[in-house]
Amino acid sequence: MTTKATSMTSNDKTAPPPKSPSLLSVYRSELAIAIACVVLLVGVGFFVPAALSSGNFANILQASAPLVIMSLGVLIVIITGGIDLSVGSIFSLTGMVTALAMANGFSDISASLAGLGVGIVFGSINGALITLVGLAPFVVTLITYAVAASLAFIVTNGRSLGVNSPDYWLFNSGEFIPGLPNFILFCLIFTVALEFVLRKVTAGRWFYSVGSSPMAAYLLGIPVKRTRFAAYVISGTMASFAGLLTVSYILNAEATAGASLMLQAIAAVVIGGASLSGGSGSAIGAVLGALMITIIQNGVNLIGINSFWQGSVTGLAILVAVLIDRFSHR
Amino acid sequence: MDSNKTALISVRNLMKGFGATKVLRGVNFTVLPGEIHALLGGNGAGKSTMIRIITGAVRKDDGDVVLASPRGGIPKIAVVHQELALLPDLTVAENIALVHAASAATLVRNRSQAARAHEALCLIDPHLAHHALHRKASELSMHEGQIVEIARALSTGAEVLLLDEPTANLTAGETERLFVVLRRLATEKNIGIVFVSHRMKEIRQLCDVCTIIRDGMTVIDALPLTHLSDNEIIHQMGQPTERSVERDKRVLDQAGGGVVLRGPETSVPVLKGQILGLAGAPAGPSRLIAVLNGTAANADWEVDAKDWPKRPTSPRQAVQLGIGHVSGDRRLKGVLSQLPIVDNVLASRRVREGRHLVRGSERDECLGLVKALKLKAGSIWDLPSTLSGGNQQKLLVARWLGMPLKMVVFEEPTRGVDIGTKREIYELIRNMAGQGTIVVWWSTENVELLELCDEILAFDTEGRAKGLLPQDQFNEDALADLTGMAA
Repeated sequence: MTTKATSMTSNDKTAPPPKSPSLLSVYRSELAIAIACVVLLVGVGFFVPAALSSGNFANILQASAPLVIMSLGVLIVIITGGIDLSVGSIFSLTGMVTALAMANGFSDISASLAGLGVGIVFGSINGALITLVGLAPFVVTLITYAVAASLAFIVTNGRSLGVNSPDYWLFNSGEFIPGLPNFILFCLIFTVALEFVLRKVTAGRWFYSVGSSPMAAYLLGIPVKRTRFAAYVISGTMASFAGLLTVSYILNAEATAGASLMLQAIAAVVIGGASLSGGSGSAIGAVLGALMITIIQNGVNLIGINSFWQGSVTGLAILVAVLIDRFSHR
Repeated sequence: MDSNKTALISVRNLMKGFGATKVLRGVNFTVLPGEIHALLGGNGAGKSTMIRIITGAVRKDDGDVVLASPRGGIPKIAVVHQELALLPDLTVAENIALVHAASAATLVRNRSQAARAHEALCLIDPHLAHHALHRKASELSMHEGQIVEIARALSTGAEVLLLDEPTANLTAGETERLFVVLRRLATEKNIGIVFVSHRMKEIRQLCDVCTIIRDGMTVIDALPLTHLSDNEIIHQMGQPTERSVERDKRVLDQAGGGVVLRGPETSVPVLKGQILGLAGAPAGPSRLIAVLNGTAANADWEVDAKDWPKRPTSPRQAVQLGIGHVSGDRRLKGVLSQLPIVDNVLASRRVREGRHLVRGSERDECLGLVKALKLKAGSIWDLPSTLSGGNQQKLLVARWLGMPLKMVVFEEPTRGVDIGTKREIYELIRNMAGQGTIVVWWSTENVELLELCDEILAFDTEGRAKGLLPQDQFNEDALADLTGMAA
């Protein structure tokens, strides 16, 4: 994202030192998406007043949490100029592995760690094949997408698996901080942490540098391979975490649970203002993109439109977002 | 020349601005059939912009461009650009044949394609025609690529040829052959040829008339070259005819901090604060530079010095050691295009000093550097694309300024920047050397090397080190001789 600040001339000695760009100018396009979300919600509320109830808001947040977290991971990969097609399958496989581990008597924590291990392992495989072997991200993650998806069926021979651990739902809907459900807490922590890393940590700036101009970044001494490797590991791990969140909510794991999520996550990142050619994007934008997709799904359901239309409406939203982005910069 | 010829190209009062900068402010330019026309002007004077407007790649703001073929209609124009424009994954034959395909539906016939390409290449380099037809363009050296591109332009049957510094990467022999072909095309086929070059000797050898552009305006309009002396031409281009800065007789620190660069043919001792120029075609200098900045996998050079590895294993190690690098290829190897100016300036510092967080104080640090360099920027949070080419180049230099460095490597840092900025970059290079940094500087413009360097290492076109010229033996002809490049 470009950040246009107030004009200043470097030679003018009398001019006051330039201020850092205001939050409003930094998050200009994010604000536009937030406004679009509100407009969408109000639009749905026009047909179905219940859409504006606090109960429905809670529904939307609950439903969007896994997508938000997965989108944040995919965002990092897209900022580095890559793509991660494997996140949906990693999401599914994580659920299966976790549920299977619990069914075999593992504790909640160790089963969850095993689930997270899926994302770490597949993320590392993605990263290694892309940075060390030099294969194209699209091809590599297409391979791991297919492999993880089939493994998700193999581990239980295709059966869905319930979670019988009585307290596991707390992971999602419990409240470590009274009044703040954990799924919201997790989303907030990840968003704030990632936004901080991307803007204020040197390594965070490296993600942009690598995505923007890999050759220049390399010559500047930025560890290009390590940065890209890290992006895929983070993306895989976040997808796994999103999988855990869903399992702990519906207390059931299914091999196809994440099938539609990969495209939704990429869509959320694009709506959030990131460019698929790399070098731009923000955590807050991706989160708002994920929220917008969930609001559209929620609205289509509430209004009672045939749910087959969901994809078309989401597609239209992506088109509008990309057009706004394109014309606000030129 | 016949007086009743109608002009192939007639440009009147052409205007063009990019953002706030006016590149063309009233350019006139006329090309007649059968003439070889020198188009002269300093870097950034607007020559390339005018050529791009004539070919339709850039839209004009104001003025007239009239293109007229003696056969009626618009003349066929072929251009050889400064930057290579070959498709890397296609073979040489395919690259040449590409421009001949009548339409997208034309069938590809390998044999006629190859025959045509062979014929075209034979015009300049029969040897290359014999060996390179089926090699991919990406496998060619820069200098072979240039020949292929010229051959392609010659073979199109164009009525106008625009050649933008076509000899920059050619040897003397190839230049000679190219000139023979160009003269034949002009006299026999009545083709209009526009020739852009900075080399006075070539211009005198080849061209009939010249047009000089300066700061976006035509100052000499189609004057026969016999009417102008070399000094008048240089003066009209707005370039200083004499060395503008007195060479200070610096006493170099003989004591320590120097290095010895060992190559296959020679070894070169370089003292602290010395400016070592590298002259010649890219092959040789780029191999040495790759060793210095840590990008060489298996190179034949090595560095011999205390607390210095023979070859840094990565650019990261080189930067951490205190070896800076400024490339002339801003687009690919220089600017981080999607990041604001502040990140661009500070990226190398963050690596060198191992900073983990983006500090608040970095803003003032960046502003200080921007000010010291007189970098004209709207705001340090703007993207580098808002800067002019010269200012982008200064941005790359800013990365290494005011940091204790062992060595800075410059790779054609003044490519495509105007004279004023060139002077400023020279000054910066001199200052860095003055602070005890070793400067290694490759340039294809021998004149600037002769002006600034303490010693010049000359490479021939095959990439072999041919000789080390100390300052008291500096002389343009000697350097041209050693490098085998047309002077």
